[in-house]
Amino acid sequence: MTWLPALDRKLLREVTHLKGQIATIALVLASGITCFIALRGTYSSLEWSRETYYDRTRFAEVFARLERAPESTARRIEALPGVALVQTRVAKEVSLPIEGLDRAAYGQVISLPAHGEPATNALHLESGRLPEPGHDEEVVVLGSFARAHGFGPGHRLPVVINGTLRNLRVVGIAQSPEFVYAIRPGALADDPKRYAVLWMDRTVVASAFQLGGAFNDLSLRLQPGASEAGTLAAVDRILSPYGGLGAIGRKNQTSNRILTGELSQLGALAGMVPLVFLGVAAFLINMVLARLITLQRTEIATLKAVGYTNGEIARHYLGLVAVVMVPGALLGVAGGWWLGRIVLRLYEGIFRFPDLVFRLTPGLVMSAVLISTAAAVLGALFAVRSAAKLPPAEAMRPPTPARYRRGLAARLGLGPIAGASGMMVLREVERRPLRTALSSFGIGGAVALIILGHFGVDSLNNYLEAMFRREQRQDLAVAFARPADPRVVTQLASMPGVITAEGIRAVPIRVRHEHRMRDSVLMGLPSQATLRRLVARAGHEVPIPDDGVLVTTALGKILGLAVGDRLEIEVLEGDRRLVRPVVAGFVDESVGLQVYARTGVVSSLEGDLGAVSSALLRVDPSLRTSVEDQLRRSPRVIDVSDVAADVQRLRDMNGAAMDIWTLVSITLAACVIFGVVYNNARIALATRSRELATLRVLGLSRAEISSILIAGLAIEVVLAIPVGLFLGRGWAELFFTRAVDQETFRFQVLIESRTYLLAALVALLAAAASALWVRRSLDRLDLIGVLKTRE
Amino acid sequence: MRQALPLQEPDRQPQAARPILACHDLRKVYRMGEVDVHALDGVDFTLRAGELLVLLGVSGSGKSTLLNILGGLDVASSGQVFFEGRDLTAADEDELTQYRRHSVGFVFQFYNLIPSLTARENVALVTDIADDPLEPEEALALVGLGDRLDHFPAQLSGGEQQRVAIARAVAKRPPILLCDEPTGALDFRTGILVLELIERINRELGTATALITHNAPIAEIADRVVTLADGRVLDERIVERRARPSELRW
Ligand SMILES: Nc1ncnc2c1ncn2[C@@H]1O[C@H](COP(=O)(O)OP(=O)(O)OP(=O)(O)O)[C@@H](O)[C@H]1O
Ligand SMILES: [Mg+2]
Repeated sequence: MTWLPALDRKLLREVTHLKGQIATIALVLASGITCFIALRGTYSSLEWSRETYYDRTRFAEVFARLERAPESTARRIEALPGVALVQTRVAKEVSLPIEGLDRAAYGQVISLPAHGEPATNALHLESGRLPEPGHDEEVVVLGSFARAHGFGPGHRLPVVINGTLRNLRVVGIAQSPEFVYAIRPGALADDPKRYAVLWMDRTVVASAFQLGGAFNDLSLRLQPGASEAGTLAAVDRILSPYGGLGAIGRKNQTSNRILTGELSQLGALAGMVPLVFLGVAAFLINMVLARLITLQRTEIATLKAVGYTNGEIARHYLGLVAVVMVPGALLGVAGGWWLGRIVLRLYEGIFRFPDLVFRLTPGLVMSAVLISTAAAVLGALFAVRSAAKLPPAEAMRPPTPARYRRGLAARLGLGPIAGASGMMVLREVERRPLRTALSSFGIGGAVALIILGHFGVDSLNNYLEAMFRREQRQDLAVAFARPADPRVVTQLASMPGVITAEGIRAVPIRVRHEHRMRDSVLMGLPSQATLRRLVARAGHEVPIPDDGVLVTTALGKILGLAVGDRLEIEVLEGDRRLVRPVVAGFVDESVGLQVYARTGVVSSLEGDLGAVSSALLRVDPSLRTSVEDQLRRSPRVIDVSDVAADVQRLRDMNGAAMDIWTLVSITLAACVIFGVVYNNARIALATRSRELATLRVLGLSRAEISSILIAGLAIEVVLAIPVGLFLGRGWAELFFTRAVDQETFRFQVLIESRTYLLAALVALLAAAASALWVRRSLDRLDLIGVLKTRE
Repeated sequence: MRQALPLQEPDRQPQAARPILACHDLRKVYRMGEVDVHALDGVDFTLRAGELLVLLGVSGSGKSTLLNILGGLDVASSGQVFFEGRDLTAADEDELTQYRRHSVGFVFQFYNLIPSLTARENVALVTDIADDPLEPEEALALVGLGDRLDHFPAQLSGGEQQRVAIARAVAKRPPILLCDEPTGALDFRTGILVLELIERINRELGTATALITHNAPIAEIADRVVTLADGRVLDERIVERRARPSELRW
């Protein structure tokens, strides 16, 4: 060791002495880096995959659906200023009666240009090839569907196209930028087994739907700098005579919207969570160093006296930071890489990219290390500065003895209740309000983290509960291929096994008020609706007025509506009339931007006489399968969906993801809590060993002195728990408003008492673990050795 | 300042008094790597009820080691310790704690007060757990600090702090008081004051007291003087006439 300068040898001895504290701080720091790398890395990996994928496949920027327009219309759109490329397609719903599936899968068939690559939304072929022109039965299938059923190219696939069952031959398996998140329109969660996207030759699809020389789907890419809003308006103007359903920008394209929403949630998490760890690590480093420096005042003075400069001394103590940083960073980067891949794999199950890998870029590692170093150095700086400022002579004097005041507890007359040992505990807490506050805040942050890791489950459960116990109480929802006569509902009601049947009319609309505008759905509900009710988030049912329309509170806010206003509604169907009903009230539903009215009101607005687009059924459970079978065989029915199964799947999916989050958040939070309590305990033990030895001499037992020390720590934890619960709720709210699409989801942040309990329990357990450690070292307290020395 | 105490005049014939604390062939060995340090090397020693005993000896002769073992702070390597006829040698941790809690008062060179507690509360620390203690106020009045009850250690002088420590040691009315150089950190005048206090407590409360000092003249206030050297009892003598601390000069 002689090759090592003496000062560094001192550092080395201190490290050995402080190894427990250094280890826990390194662990907290590592937790922060792990979180940062895992979350930030997943975020940028997903974003990178998205950007390169969108780019490579020429993902469109504007999408429009319409009834039918001649191909020449596309040339007019192509001529619009700012439009770079236009691709027209024929896209229609189909159903796939797959053997072994309890009900037919729902699908979309989309045309591929007869020659060459599509101008927008190119496919990424996983295997096989594209259909060859002239081969009617060749089809390319969405990868998730093929995988869910375990087939590949060469497989035969039964598909009902426009009422005709055809036996198609799978020639390729593909992914598409339009279906990174593949979800059936209107569904709550993806269901790869029951949602198929098929690509076929344009001529084949067009002839099946009598759309030769025409198209019903259009997508385009803009020139750089072109105005999206302007293009949307222009496209709408051109397509409106052809039954245009309203063009949307990329941000409202279903798959992209969900992906972006998820990404922004992740981004918010990546910004918030590591902060807790790094803040706590900075605090711990500060605490430990400050303590060390106070203890070593005379050593510092001696060093100065023999000629070490302030800079050298500061560097010496900052060296301790390096000792914490290096293992912390290594561990953190390794942990981040490990956790990041797990988190990414969670997303991989939901979002389909051709190549999604966790990208541990040097930039990411660098920024993680830089941020954590900054936190650590910041923590150290305040402590080290006081060492550097110490004049040599001053440092040779012992520190002024700790001064205590009678304090609040004594003035409140707590003395007789607390007893002398109780007063010791209380005064210690009172003397260091800042440290107590910071410790509590650090522990509280960890508690909050657990809540943040879990509140999503609670809120989602609450939301689903609300939706399906109160609002949507049907067993089956039947969607008709086109608006049907209301008598269909009566027929459905008389089917054996059907208990109740209610018809619903849903009309795509565009609503305007003053200068604000949104696309929405006008829902006509029967006056005595029992299956689909309007239930406010507060829980009460909202009756549908006889006249006028009800608007969801969210939509009302967006449009700036008040009761009595006239709302301009453009019906995006039929003769596209413009109507101006009165707003009769608002309903604070948990999801969506809908407009509700009585079926009769809707009919009068829309001009057709009470046609229904879907029916809700309550079914006798024992006859349910036969009812479903019968419905599926009807050519008028496009889809039958089972709400309970949907909900269960959504729960399962979220449950699996949330289990991992819960586990990760608990582990990391426990690290932080243990780190804080352990370091506090170490410091308390070091500073107060003389006191504690004296108490032992006076005849207090080990259990009694442990409880004095532990009580002080317990106070911090007990203060921290409510802080943490409160902070957790606040965070959850913040996270929600920042990250969740407020227009579509009106989730309420709901945290079940179970979650609070879990968080509190983790805090108590982690604290208890460190307390046990304290207990152990107290048992080894050397009574005589401690008392022999002067303070 | 003086206060009449509800105690009868103790037995003034120390030789006749029964032994309260005794040890036989006490040894304490510290292993320091290759060498063994025999801090105590076969000590036979008795403390009798009510007597004031001074332990003399050069530095390193084993005084503190002996006192710590007698007071239940430390355990011997071999030999036996008896407290009122009860063998403490085999006592476990809990029994030693109980012994310290109820039977022994300690006074150290460094006062070892709890800085976060006032004088009164420092004493209360003991009276909270003792069986039939003095009131903290009473104990502090006994050491002449009845008017400094609510002062923190940092607000008291060294001698005052030592007096609080003495009040704390005697507040539980222990049969034994063990003092390890109680005047070591104090100036002459303050030292005398503290010795007077200890002497008076011995006299008025009848607390059997063993007091360690480097300072040979102090031995004159004792009933009996035991001198240690190299971990053995070198000499033992009875003082004919106990001197008053105020008569001391050194
Ligand atoms: N923890 C220990 N480890 C090793 N040796 C020890 C230890 N404590 C005491 N000793 C040794 O035991 C011997 C007796 O020590 P002790 O403290 O009893 O002496 P003392 O008579 O009280 O001296 P002083 O007057 O200086 O206080 C000394 O040689 C000392 O070095
Ligand atoms: Mg000694």
